[in-house]
Amino acid sequence: MESAELPQSPSPIVRGPKRTIPPLVRAVAVIALLYLFLVGVKLLESGVESLGSGTAGGLFDGITNPLAALFVGILATVLVQSSSVTTSTIVGLVAAGQLPLETAVPMIMGANIGTTITNTIVSLAHARKSEEFRLAFSAATMHDFFNLIAVAILLPLEIATGFLQKTATWFAELLPSGADATFNSPIKGAVKWGVGLIKPVIETITSSSTTFGVAFILLGIAIIFITLMLITKNMKVLIAARIETSINVALAKSGMVGMMVGILVTVAVQSSSITTSILVPLVASGILLVRNAYPITLGANIGTTVTALLAALATGVVGGMTIALVHLLFNIVGILLLYPIPKIRYLPVTIAEKLATLAVARKWLAVAYVGIVFIAIPIVGILILD
Amino acid sequence: MVLEFFKGSSQSPIDTIEATLVQMLCAGDDVFVTATNALFGGGKSKETKQEVRSTDHQINEAQQEIRRALMVHAAVGAGDLPLVLQYASIVKDAERIGDYAKNVYDLVRYGADFDAADDRDELARYRDNVSRLIRDAAGVFASHDTEAAKRLIGKADGFLDDYDARVKAAYRSEGTASDAVSRALYFRYLKRMTAHVMNVLTALVQPLDRLDYYDEAKEDRD
Repeated sequence: MESAELPQSPSPIVRGPKRTIPPLVRAVAVIALLYLFLVGVKLLESGVESLGSGTAGGLFDGITNPLAALFVGILATVLVQSSSVTTSTIVGLVAAGQLPLETAVPMIMGANIGTTITNTIVSLAHARKSEEFRLAFSAATMHDFFNLIAVAILLPLEIATGFLQKTATWFAELLPSGADATFNSPIKGAVKWGVGLIKPVIETITSSSTTFGVAFILLGIAIIFITLMLITKNMKVLIAARIETSINVALAKSGMVGMMVGILVTVAVQSSSITTSILVPLVASGILLVRNAYPITLGANIGTTVTALLAALATGVVGGMTIALVHLLFNIVGILLLYPIPKIRYLPVTIAEKLATLAVARKWLAVAYVGIVFIAIPIVGILILD
Repeated sequence: MVLEFFKGSSQSPIDTIEATLVQMLCAGDDVFVTATNALFGGGKSKETKQEVRSTDHQINEAQQEIRRALMVHAAVGAGDLPLVLQYASIVKDAERIGDYAKNVYDLVRYGADFDAADDRDELARYRDNVSRLIRDAAGVFASHDTEAAKRLIGKADGFLDDYDARVKAAYRSEGTASDAVSRALYFRYLKRMTAHVMNVLTALVQPLDRLDYYDEAKEDRD
């Protein structure tokens, strides 16, 4: 072929993803989605309130045993593949007064465990190449083991002392209070206005207070689920370059820088699964050490609590804020317990690496682990305990 | 760091990768110029050896840096996989330019010296052509100028036959074996460097599956 006859390339160097939506429009859409998300939480809360005492719906209904509540948190999060959806729903239920804090706390801890299934599933994609798989599975399951260890220590302590709940209540009560255990949030009024627009529409469909309540709950959960999914998707496109730059910085560093990257990326995309799933191929390819990915993962644990805090702002109820703060405190205390002491800092990583070595030899073990820890144990636990 | 994250950077990660690729090409030319200066009278020295090796080491580091950045880009899922694959391919070409330039210095270490050659100016002209080609390619790559890339590929393509003819001439020459080997290897390295420059440029004008096909004989390319 002569150089003069060079064909026109169907794919010369194409810069960046083909963005059909301009960034500004996307940013405005994210703000609108965030507002809708808060409306969804308020709808859920209002729906549960209108149904009256003891009618908190579905999976969360009638759970009294803390372990059963923990399993419900795990299972609910595995089902919706998002701890943000679970924690926001819990915030709504607590704010409505239909879910006691004592039950909500283990559920929040369960949500923390349940959310780790996503990157563990992502790691299974590397199963073809043993060394890659060993690294990927280690990177994914160290998150599981950190959360499992944190729960194993903090749940019994919480049951015995209620320290997380008490501390969170103390912090929540520092907020400028209104009447009836509520606090004055600037967002609250705006959200109430949005709910006020939806209310008459539902009222034209049904006059029954029960149907009205159920419709509000279902609509609320659907809005929470859809808006969070769309916020994550849009934010990921909007800040892809910043995520890349931050992770490039974190590649060469560990510790606090990594943790900060984990927090920032997760707060920005509203999903710890996105952050931890990005780490899996980087560790698998060997460019990020498992131990350097570890603080980023812990940062993601803290970053993901921002969603429940936002949801609590929409409710304007101290109880809602308390459970959201429990989520934050649980993750901070977990890190403070395990991370500063060098001898136990990498315990979750070591366990994850040992399991990964076993899983490389017997691939079915990896699948069995996911099925047992995230599905079988929670189901059996709920059936036996409650 | 928090402020930096939310403020963002004026340079995207892909901009950074491209800037590093351009630096690699320029560093490859630096190695080449240093090595050929030694070949055309400068001779071997500890300093030159150190300079060649350290610049080549920088090129290798840059290659690894680009690979890491590409992996992060792919993991974040920016959605431009063809670009990642293209850059993963051409970064290897940019690195090879530095390697062949280092090989030119190896000729000096083995005793080659073109300074006293009868055709010194002609040999030096080839060197100048390749050096200019690398620099021009770096500029064209940085500007994404596809028309200029096509012109440069055409120009470089013209050099390849010439190198082959010179290798053949060295093979048939009746001079000393060391001179014939030095010349054959010199032109072989120039050919390989030119081909790698062409590969880098093809990323601007060729689809992904047709990258790297410019170092084959013309009749085998289609």
